[in-house]
Parts: sequence; structure tokens; C-alpha cells
Amino acid sequence: MTISRQVWLGLIAFLAASISLPSIGSGQWLSILTSTSCFVIAITGVAFLYARLGMVSLGQVALMGVGGWVMLRMNHAYLLPFELNLMVAVVVTMVFGWILALPALRMRGLYLALITLMAAGGLEVIFATFRFPNGGEGFWGVMPSVAAPFRRPEIAQSDSAYLRYVITFVALGFAIIRLHLCSAPGRAWAMIRRSEAAALASGVNVTYYKAWGFGLSGALAGLAGAFLAGSLGLLDASTFRASESILLFALAVVGGVRYWYGVVIAALLLRVLPALFNNWSLDPDLALIIFGAALMHSIITAPQGIAGQLNDLLAKLRGKHD
Amino acid sequence: MKTITYYFSLVASILLALPAVAQAAPECGAKTGIKATGSPIKVGGIHGNAAPGDFSSATDAASAYFDCVNENGGINGRPIQYLVENDQWNPELAAQAAAKLIEDENVVAMVGNGSFVEMSVNAPTYKENGIMAMASACAVSECFESSNIVSTNQGPLASSIGAAMYAVEELNAQNISCIGLAIPSVGNWSCGAVESYMTSKGLTGSSVLLNPAAPDVNSGLLEAVASGADSILVNLPAGLGIAFLGAAQEQDLAAVYSWTSSTPLYDMSVPAALGEYWDGKIFVSAELTSLDGQGIDNLNWKAVMDAYADENDPRDTFSQSGYLSAKIFVETLLSMDAEQLDDRNAVSDSIKAINDKRSDLMCGPYYVGEADRHMPNHAGIVVVNKNGNFEVVRDCFEYEGPYFEPLFSTEKALGLR
Amino acid sequence: MKRFLPLLWLVLAALAVFILVAGKTPFRISGLFLVSGLAVGALYSLGGIGLVVLYRATGVLNLANGAIGALGVMVAWQLGHWGVAPSLTWLAALVLATMVSLIFGRLIAPGLAHRDPVVKTVATLGYALVVLGITAFIWEDDVRKFSLPTDQMAAIILDLRFTVTRMIVIGTAIFIVIVIWLYLDRTRVGLQMRSLANDRQLAALIGIRIVRVETIAWGISGVIAGFTGLMFGDLVRLEPFVITFMVIPSIAAAICGKLESLVGVLVGGFTMGIIESLLTLSPTLKSIRPVAPFVIAAIALFLMQGGRPLVFARD
Repeated sequence: MTISRQVWLGLIAFLAASISLPSIGSGQWLSILTSTSCFVIAITGVAFLYARLGMVSLGQVALMGVGGWVMLRMNHAYLLPFELNLMVAVVVTMVFGWILALPALRMRGLYLALITLMAAGGLEVIFATFRFPNGGEGFWGVMPSVAAPFRRPEIAQSDSAYLRYVITFVALGFAIIRLHLCSAPGRAWAMIRRSEAAALASGVNVTYYKAWGFGLSGALAGLAGAFLAGSLGLLDASTFRASESILLFALAVVGGVRYWYGVVIAALLLRVLPALFNNWSLDPDLALIIFGAALMHSIITAPQGIAGQLNDLLAKLRGKHD
Repeated sequence: MKTITYYFSLVASILLALPAVAQAAPECGAKTGIKATGSPIKVGGIHGNAAPGDFSSATDAASAYFDCVNENGGINGRPIQYLVENDQWNPELAAQAAAKLIEDENVVAMVGNGSFVEMSVNAPTYKENGIMAMASACAVSECFESSNIVSTNQGPLASSIGAAMYAVEELNAQNISCIGLAIPSVGNWSCGAVESYMTSKGLTGSSVLLNPAAPDVNSGLLEAVASGADSILVNLPAGLGIAFLGAAQEQDLAAVYSWTSSTPLYDMSVPAALGEYWDGKIFVSAELTSLDGQGIDNLNWKAVMDAYADENDPRDTFSQSGYLSAKIFVETLLSMDAEQLDDRNAVSDSIKAINDKRSDLMCGPYYVGEADRHMPNHAGIVVVNKNGNFEVVRDCFEYEGPYFEPLFSTEKALGLR
Repeated sequence: MKRFLPLLWLVLAALAVFILVAGKTPFRISGLFLVSGLAVGALYSLGGIGLVVLYRATGVLNLANGAIGALGVMVAWQLGHWGVAPSLTWLAALVLATMVSLIFGRLIAPGLAHRDPVVKTVATLGYALVVLGITAFIWEDDVRKFSLPTDQMAAIILDLRFTVTRMIVIGTAIFIVIVIWLYLDRTRVGLQMRSLANDRQLAALIGIRIVRVETIAWGISGVIAGFTGLMFGDLVRLEPFVITFMVIPSIAAAICGKLESLVGVLVGGFTMGIIESLLTLSPTLKSIRPVAPFVIAAIALFLMQGGRPLVFARD
């Protein structure tokens, strides 16, 4: 599929989604789809980082937690509008991600993966100990009883309006990445992916562009976490365990890191499939087995994931016009 | 001679069979024996069932009781449709479950809820939607300190105070170290109350808070040892509690301290897991009455479970608790106007009006009332693990301490004191 | 001795924490925490050693080690529950762990041999999820305890009762370090393993019997994973999820050894345990003390850079 065809497909899908999905009458499914959309944003960050730069981030959900934490703290501490809190959350998460990853950006890919895993492990402990702000006093802002209210955006107070709001930002996230890929950073990343030595020889500041990529990934994580906070009105530490970060990356690979529909598939697997399993009363451990097997299969035989396989299928059906 | 023996054995076997016959017939609801066939009344329930624990026995028991009620006339001829969701210890799933039950299914009340995360996530939702949750297996402070949730179980705070009281009154404890989870709404909340209780008695109390995921319980144990305590109160979920006692066993501390525990260790698999070393040493404050009790409700609970529940459903304290919540809920519905049974607000008002419901499963009366906190169950028993089983060492006693003052004044207003 | 100099920072860090946090506490009490930390650190070291042994031999960082160990110890518990003799249950655990490890090593890993280390690691992640899912599916959540006869025997060190089980952990960790060092450095198979990890294609070209060497490597890794699982099950908690994700602090210990020095992993693991335990004495830091292993690993990674960009390293 050529680039412009992908973009058209994306635009049509976005319009269809933002019109039809929020009109689903079910309160449960609105909640599930909002959560899925938040994770689409987060997975996008991980996916482009791996696909375009070959960098593995095993701490994306932990960074989501940071974004969510900042969003909640801002909401309960000051009376600023949602959008402002959102920007603060994004910036703080981006800087946080940089601080964590900067040491490892000059090293082998494996070490970046490991340091993000360590960050995920450390943040899991911090979230579990200090919990998330719910209107209490002090820096940590936690009180032991029912949470204070959360202020959603003015234009998106109801659940369906909020879903539409989040879907818009999903499209925005994809658009930002597309813009990057079509301009200087994208070219630098492609060179770095090919050969760091060659990139260095051509005068590309490898560390700078790697940091840019990681910062963007962190910003998307912060965005996703902030939206998740807005969806539930509060957050719980068990959402942000290190194992969740690992699972998120695993499913990003299974879905297909190169294409936007691969990211959507990954988010559906991460959030909709467990909900379905729950509805059908299937043991959640079975989901683990399926995900693990799918991950291994993906890595070994289908490096482009489910999205890549769909692509191949469509190409075959179309008889290879392109 | 033969005739006398024959008649004797006949009478004896009849007398022996009578309890079995009496046990076999559970009594539920209106007890009409006629199946209910009207339009269903929708009731919801949320439980948590995934690693690290299974709280589903409460909703299993409530479900069994509702099935029994539906076989016995239902509520004025209408069956109860019990919709149960599993939050899998995931806050998002808990919110989605509540959205499904409240917004999509329009349930009139929640009964039998049992989870570690559900109450903290959904308490605001329940308040916004004016729905009452008659929970059965609560472990967080939000469950006991919110206006729309009331539970039949005690939770860690009350249960720990019961254990502390036993330690002070029967085991001569002067300095208790409370081992809890490092979660503000669980460990800090309940162990903090134990410290206040000890201070109010002119004694000393301290807390050791463990991070639930940390592999090292040893340093927590050492912290307790270093605090100068003479009695240790284990206020942890069963798995972590066993690990902690295992570390204590390694240090051979069973005889050095007196050991008490809050309710999670009152579980039939615990004595075997603890082994002989701890035999007769752990005094557990149970939140409902003994599982082997001979009271009417306890026997009826067993009968209902045998008749309507799955064989594999655990018959534990949460199960008793779920049965009790369901029973009181049904009694409340039966006392309402038939036309109002589909009106959530009317049901919520009736639930809030519940006052002075007694049962041999609970040591004190169950009540709700219009308040921003509910903890009707604050009296319990104490058991000790002996010979692979549990023995009751102290029968029903009410808990004291600064935490319960506001509750006592509410109870006075309701005429319960 | 010179190559052990970089490890000095770990020892100094532990000393610094000791002075800062336990300076005012009598040694009678702080000594308890020191010894307790050593006991916990030994577990981190053991997990890390298992990871590094395999990494040095095959270039794969096996994230499934914890899951394999968890499966092994659950089987051992189950067999013991059914009345099988204890020594047979341990043997069964070790054999099963070795087999599960070999399944991956022989059937799945060769297909990934030409991919970069990150991809190989992610594949082991998939395997970890499968094994964990199977273990969690077979054994429902329940309260269980796994004990070894060595739990009953103990020695008193600095007023703390040190069970023989914990001594076995420390002893085995040191034993493995020595044996593997000798094996990789002094034996023919060890040499072949190191060349295999360096470049599999070349190793095949010069006539090394790849399959045989890899089988030995994965087999050894499986045995260590099985033994580690038994120890975790006894000393931490008998819960599959907990044991599986102990691989994360084990990775922290492995990082302290830069994924190659077993002595580094040993010292790193002990330091992590000691610092985590000593922090209990600090009123401000005691609530977040489980974060210690990760902070130490992050610092280790930071120091590992040493200002030399490794961009030309064979990724």
C-alpha cells in the first residue's frame, strides 16, 4: 500500500470511528473503547520507536502512570482547565522519560530495553507505595477515602463526548508521527536504523535524534495516561505494573509495529480481548498463553505482525497492482 | 429382646436422620415453594477473581441464595436476575463492570460485592447514580467510609482491633507491632487504628508496612523485632501472611512473641500451610461467626450452598458474608411496595432504612442508615489454629477504640444502643 | 584482581548506606539487617547468575527463567502433596525445568539465531507468558507453602538465625560462579560456547557442533532455573506470578555484572539485598526500599557507559 493510500484509509477510519463509536448505547463498551483508545496512543509511541529506530521500550505503561499521576495532581491542586493539565502531563512525562533513558541511548539496543524495564520495576514500587492523587493534601495528594471529583474537558463532559475527544487525539498522534516521518527526523531515523555508523559518518547527530524519538514516545505515553485518568476519574497502581509494560510491548509486536492498524489491533488485543474473555467467563490465564504464543509466532514468522499479514493478504487479493 | 433392639434402632435412626432431613431443606425468601415467574428484578454484583486472590465466594453464595429465593416465590412472584461481573483485580475492568451493570442493565442494587479494587474505583459512581451496594468482601477503607457502600464483613480495621483487644486482654500484650500492607487505604488505615487503640489503653503500638510485591518480608520482620514489641499482629492477606510467618519460623520466634491475626488467616487451608510449628499459637480474629456454628442462619447457609451452589464453591467466611447480604437484601425487598421494586431510588431508600437485623452469623445487629460511613459489623469471635483446624477461644465480643466513636453515636440515634 | 576494581563502587555504596542509615543504631540491631540483606541478596544473585550464564553461552537473555522455575516448583509441590518422596520431587522439578528450557533452546531459539539480541529477548518474553499462563491455569490461586528439610536446620550468625536453605543459596551461587568460570575459560566446550555466543555463523563454519553446544548451554540454564525456582518457592512465596516476575530484580543483578561478569552479578546481587534491607532503618526511605535494586541497576548502567559510545558494536 502506498503512503497516500494509507493516509486516506486512516482518515476514513478516523471519521467512521469518531462518528459511530461514541454512539454505542452501552455504558460498558464506551468505557472499554475509551480505555482502548488511550492505549492506542501509548502503543503508537512504542511501535514507531521500534519500527523506525529499532529501540525497545519496556516501560511505556509506567510512563503512562507518570502522565496520569501529573494529570490527577494538577486537577486536584489547581483549578486549571483539562487541556492545560494535559499539556503539563505530557511535558513532564517526556522529560521524565528522557532522564531515565538518556544514559542508555548511546548503548546497545538491549541496554535501553533493560533500563526501561528497570524504570518500570522502580515506578511500580513507587506507584504501589504512594498511590495516585485523589484530592488529598501534601505532595502525594492521597486521602484514604472517596476521591474528589475530576474535571473533564468543557467540550467533552459526557462519556460519549469524551470518547470522541480521545479518538481525535489518537488521530492527532498518528498525524504527528506521520509528519515526523516525512521530514528531517524521519530521514535521520531511517539512516540510524540502517546503520548507525553510516549516519554518524553523514553528520547525523545520532544521540540527538534517538533522544527526540524517545521523547516523542514518552510524550505519547503521558498523553495516554492523562486521558486514562480522565476516563476513570482516578487511577489505581495495579494498572501500571511492570508486567503490563512488558505485555504492551509484546502485543505491539504482535499487532504489527509498522502500520497504524497494527497499533489499533494491538490495543484491541490488550483491552478488548480480556473484556470479551470476561464476558464469556473464560479463564484470563488463557489470554496469557494466547498472547505469548502469538508473540513468539510474530517474532519468528511474521515480523510485521498481524497488520503485515493483513497487508500481504490484501496485496494477494488485489493481484499486486502496486 | 430382638423386638426391643429393632424398635430402638428404628427410633435411633429416625432421630439421627432428623437433623439431616432438617439440614436438607434450605429456607429462603417467602418460603412458598413455588417457582417465581414474573418479570425479573435486576440485581448486580462485582467480584475480583484473578491472581493474587479469589474473592468470588461472596457472589457465589449470594447467587445460590437468589436461586433458592426464585424457587420459593421470588419477590411477590418476581424472580431476581443476578448479574455478576469479574473485575480481575483491574480498576478499568471494575469501572467497566459498574458501567455495564448500572447504565446498561439498570440494576436496582448491588449485592455481594467482593474485591480489593472495585470499591475504591466505583464508590463515586455509586453515589452519583444513587445506587446502594450491599457488599460482602471488603478490604479497603473506601468500602467502609463511603455513603453508598455497606458491607456485612468487617474488613481489616475492625478485625485488627479485635485481634489487638484479644492480645491485650488475654495474652498480656503491652506493645503490639501491626504488620500491614503498605497501601494507604488498607495497611496504614487499619494498623493506624490499632496504634490509636493501644494509645487509648495507655500502651504502645507500632506499624510495619510491607509492599505487597516485595520478595523480602525478612526486613519487615526485623523491623517488628527492633520496635521492642512483645506481640505481633499479622494483618496481611493469607499468602503474604503465610510468607511472613514462615520468616518468623525461620527465626524461631513463635515462643518469643504472642501472635494474633486479622481475619484473612481464618481459612481452612491455612492450618495445613502453617504446619505443626504454629499449632495453637496463632489467634485469629474472625469477622463472622464460626464456620461450624449450629445457629439457624449458619445451617441454612450450608443447606443453601449444598442445594444451589457448585460443589467447588468455597464454603468460607466470604461465602457466609455473601449469603447474609443476600438474605437481608431479600428481606428488604419483600417489605417494599410491589410497584416500587424497579425503582432504584426506592430500593436505595429501603436499604438505607435497614435497621437492627440480627443473625447468628454476625455478632451484632446489621444496619445501614443515611451516613457517609458504614461499618455495621464491629464485633466478632477469636479462634486459634489447633490440630489442623480452628477452635473458638472467645465468643462474640464488641470492639472498642477511638475509631468506633462516630459509629456508636449513629447507632444511638438509630436506637440500637 | 584489577578487573574486579569496577565492582568497588558497589561495595562502597553499601558501606555508604550503612553509615548514613545505620550509623546511630547499635550494631546488634543493624547487624541483623545486614545479615538478612545478605540472605535476600543471595536470591537476586542466583537469579542473575542463571541469566548471565545463558547469555554468555548463547547471547540470549532468557526472560522465561522465572516462569520455568515457577513451573518446576509448582510441580514439586504438587508431587509432594500427593505423597511422593521429597528428593524425587526436587529431581522432577529440575528435570522438568531442563526439558522446558530445552524445548525453547532447541526448537525456537535456532530460528532466531541471526536476529539481534533484543529480538531474541522479546521471544523469550513470549515463552515466559506461555509458561506462566499454563502454570497459572493448572494451579488455581490458593494458599500454598513449599518447604525443604533444610529449613529446620540453622546456624546463628550475628544473632540472626540463618537457615541451611539460605546457606545453600549463597553456597550454590558461589559454586556456580566458580564452576562456570572454570568451564567457560578452561574447557573445550566452554570455549565453543563463547565462540558461539560471539558469532554463530562463524562458529558453525569453523566446525563447532552448534546443536550439541547449544543443547548443553540451554540444559545447564534449565537446571539453574529449576533450582532457582525451588529456592524462590521456599524462601519468597509459592505463587507462580511472583516467582515469574522475580526475573526483573534478577535482571537488575545481571546488569550489575554488565551481563558478563558472574562475580559482578554476585557482588551486585548481595549489594542490592543489603541496601534494600538496611533502608528499613531509615524512616523516610523505608516505604520505598524495594526500589533499591532498580536504582542500583540504573546507576550500574550509567557507569557502564564510561564515555565510550558503542555505536559500532555489533547490534
